[in-house]
Amino acid sequence: MKSREDEYREMFMDEALESYDAMSRHLSELERTPNNTPVLNELFRLMHNLKSSARAMGHDTIGEVAHQLESLFGLVRDGERQFASSLSAVVFSGLDTLGTMIRAVGTNAALPDAGSLLYNLERVIGGEEIELIAESETEEEVGKKLELSDLVYIPVRKLDKLLNLVGELVIDRDRILTLAEELDSPALRATARHLFRISDDLQYSVMDARLVGVGTLLNKFPRVVRDVAAAEGKEVELNMSGQDTQIDRNVLQVITDALLHLVRNAVSHGLCTPADRVATGKNPVGKLYLSALTEREDVLIEVRDDGRGINTEAVRRKAVERGLTTAAAAAGLSDQAVWAFLFEPGFSTAAQVTDISGRGVGLDVVKRALDSLGGQLRVASVLGAGTTFTLVLPTSIAVKGALLVELAGRAYAVALMHTDTVLALQPAQFTVVGGLFVAHVQGQAVPVVPLAQLLLEEGNEPLPLAVKENLQGTQHVLVVSYNNRRLGLLVDKFLRQQNIVVKPLSKPLDYIDLFGGVTLLGSGQVCLVLDVPALTRLFLARRP
Amino acid sequence: MNKRILIVDDSFYMRTMLKNMLTDAGYEVVGEAANGVQAVEMAESTKPDLITLDVILPDNTGLDVLKSLREKVPGSKVVMCSAVGQEVIVTEAIDNGALAYIIKPFSEEKVLEIVNSALQG
Repeated sequence: MKSREDEYREMFMDEALESYDAMSRHLSELERTPNNTPVLNELFRLMHNLKSSARAMGHDTIGEVAHQLESLFGLVRDGERQFASSLSAVVFSGLDTLGTMIRAVGTNAALPDAGSLLYNLERVIGGEEIELIAESETEEEVGKKLELSDLVYIPVRKLDKLLNLVGELVIDRDRILTLAEELDSPALRATARHLFRISDDLQYSVMDARLVGVGTLLNKFPRVVRDVAAAEGKEVELNMSGQDTQIDRNVLQVITDALLHLVRNAVSHGLCTPADRVATGKNPVGKLYLSALTEREDVLIEVRDDGRGINTEAVRRKAVERGLTTAAAAAGLSDQAVWAFLFEPGFSTAAQVTDISGRGVGLDVVKRALDSLGGQLRVASVLGAGTTFTLVLPTSIAVKGALLVELAGRAYAVALMHTDTVLALQPAQFTVVGGLFVAHVQGQAVPVVPLAQLLLEEGNEPLPLAVKENLQGTQHVLVVSYNNRRLGLLVDKFLRQQNIVVKPLSKPLDYIDLFGGVTLLGSGQVCLVLDVPALTRLFLARRP
Repeated sequence: MNKRILIVDDSFYMRTMLKNMLTDAGYEVVGEAANGVQAVEMAESTKPDLITLDVILPDNTGLDVLKSLREKVPGSKVVMCSAVGQEVIVTEAIDNGALAYIIKPFSEEKVLEIVNSALQG
């Protein structure tokens, strides 16, 4: 006859495994519908029971893990936490560990160590955002999850590798497509077209697998805003939208700090204290908007406050003081051009000058993060009414929409992200100002420089003065923008728009910052990818 | 006559454990309910001397069940069962007429002590 102990153990096992299965199911559901209250209640209840039973059985570690998870579900249920990616990663790993531990109880095996899990759970409960790097997961664990859940956790590095391989494939595909045309073989051409479709599908599927909701990052911010606002004695109402906007996980990773910085800045420097707000006729509660949306191929994340705005004149003075521009030049700069100084390194750290609303602090760091992604940082502000920072991000990092242009018989690619517009202008439409060609683009005066001068003529001396008589016939102008600055580049002709897979330049060429990388065209021709930020900087350094 | 007890808990394991403890100590367990609806039904039909009520149940919270029990079976004596962490609900339960609470995991000694004093009080 079974002892009562054995009977208890059997019952515990049955119930615990059943709960475990149910919780796995509910968790998957929760991932699809993060605010599903009935599911949260159910998870909470099952975890609560498991905790009680485990403790009664003397399995304190199981009890402790269940207790922490129960607390976490409680926090989510009560709206104090969002069931977002970083949190769900810990929860899923917690549940998996529970499953392993329960099975170990059944087989009288040693229970796995839950120290790091408990540590992570405590941090998450304490409000920390933690990134679970899946690298510690062994093949065995991944395989085991397959039979337990319809979700597979894949380390990001594996997805990176997959995407790189797809990139290589796409280059060869384009080559084969071109060969099929050259050889004029109908069979080869048909096969090549099929290959084109399949690889296109494959590429987008892999890219799709890497997408996560922007919400996984945005949902960290209610807490951040609350904490900063509390510390600064401010009242802030945070409004968020577009959490479902999809973006590559690595892009999100790269901008995490940048966004954190912008949000903190907005609360501590952008928004005023309730008393100051009332004094200027505003609602004492400052408003902060965090929104994300997809615009064509890009994802826009906006941080908008209704605070004091940027004191453009103070920035202008500061830029002159710091020698970034001359007083004469500064006086003629547009607001946009003045705000661009905020992103200059060096400008930032010394800018804790309150009359610049402290906006400059570390904005160059934000800028650098955006540059590294080939993204853009835009700023718009109205003094006394608020400031908006817009992060323009690529949905995916591997494949870029690019415009191919020709210069001196070679093709160059420019990321669409930095391409404002293309124009065909007659010489009469240019004026010469301060030794530079200037064209009017949508009502704005934009300096225009022959790309050949920047790219093909070496040296650091100022560019030769523009001579209008040198312009003969229709001029092809590619208008690029970087850091709120537009620049026109004269090229020989526009070739086409195309998705390209950018490969980094390898040593010893990687120090050439004018080129962001290289891509292979279908013709097998190597095509350099122009780095617009570097080109813009070079132009600023060499302009006459 | 042995005192008659109704056990309400959604965990079979917990119910069995509690039943064994109570039966061993000479109480009669007149029923085991796994959810709130069952609990009220059984309480109405068996008229137990005491009900042990888990605070977290599948269909509704133990607190709701407590309220309907007090309404439908006036004079019923209820002790709440709860694991640590649910103090808020337990306090509210006491305010709503629960006599005491037993903290999970159950220790035999504690369970009997609380059940005993609740039955006498």
